[in-house]
Amino acid sequence: MNEFITYLSIKVEEGKAETASLLAEGRTDDANFAKVRTNIYDVCRTVSQALINRPGAGTDAIKAQLERFRTEWSSALEKAKQHDNIHGIAVEETKLAALDDIIAHFQEVAGA
Amino acid sequence: MTQENALKLFKCLSDTSRLRIVQSLTQGEMYTELLAERLNLTPSTVSFHMKKLEEAGLAVSRKEQYYTVYSLNREMLDKTIYEAAVSEPEQADEQQKREEEYRRKVIRAFFEYGKLRSIPVQRKKKLICYEQIAAHFEIGKVYEEKEVNEIISPIHEDYCTIRRDMISEGILRRDGNWYIRLK
Repeated sequence: MNEFITYLSIKVEEGKAETASLLAEGRTDDANFAKVRTNIYDVCRTVSQALINRPGAGTDAIKAQLERFRTEWSSALEKAKQHDNIHGIAVEETKLAALDDIIAHFQEVAGA
Repeated sequence: MTQENALKLFKCLSDTSRLRIVQSLTQGEMYTELLAERLNLTPSTVSFHMKKLEEAGLAVSRKEQYYTVYSLNREMLDKTIYEAAVSEPEQADEQQKREEEYRRKVIRAFFEYGKLRSIPVQRKKKLICYEQIAAHFEIGKVYEEKEVNEIISPIHEDYCTIRRDMISEGILRRDGNWYIRLK
């Protein structure tokens, strides 16, 4: 699982660099979306680390938590679509895209 | 152009991605996916930027089958910076504007997709939320208690507290079993 945590840490650092670079380019709103993406990697890293350290929890617990995130954010995306909330749609799609990447990497590492 | 619109216009254009979108649209109409591909952005991000451009009056959209096609609003683009710079502030009273902004802020904080997240503790905020709920009632129409509950309960589960508060705040009036919206 260390490899997974390292991957998330790298993505957090990359995200911070991307956010700074977009801000420097004068792309404030894109930088905000990059920040949202970075936060997702950060949240998943924190949660995964906590689950790894919890006795009895492990790969299955991480997998279940990531799936819970997916359910929650998919429902938030649906709500945003129903209300034609363009900003909400962009935010939720950004979160879900980052989560898809995280889940794909997790499955690769954990064979889950 | 009002000063408010001029400000919106400048704020909207002070973003490289939106400037690039405007630049692309000078070549002709484009749909979301094409703009996303050209600018290496996701379609939802392009939609977000396009909404801002539309709000600033710089772009217009139309639906074409499954696609949203965007084009520039030439009339707005042809305006000069001078015209924007000399724009006059709207005549609305400043205090009224501040109150309206505060009201919007409270509504944004306490409502999500029409549902009240929690009943505010502060009376001023509570009143704003109740006035927002009152908009679901027609002025002058007489409602039964059951109807009042049916209107409030999808907004917040504690419809009894809200109904009672709305009466004590003079937003609704109760006559026996009948309710009427006062303001």
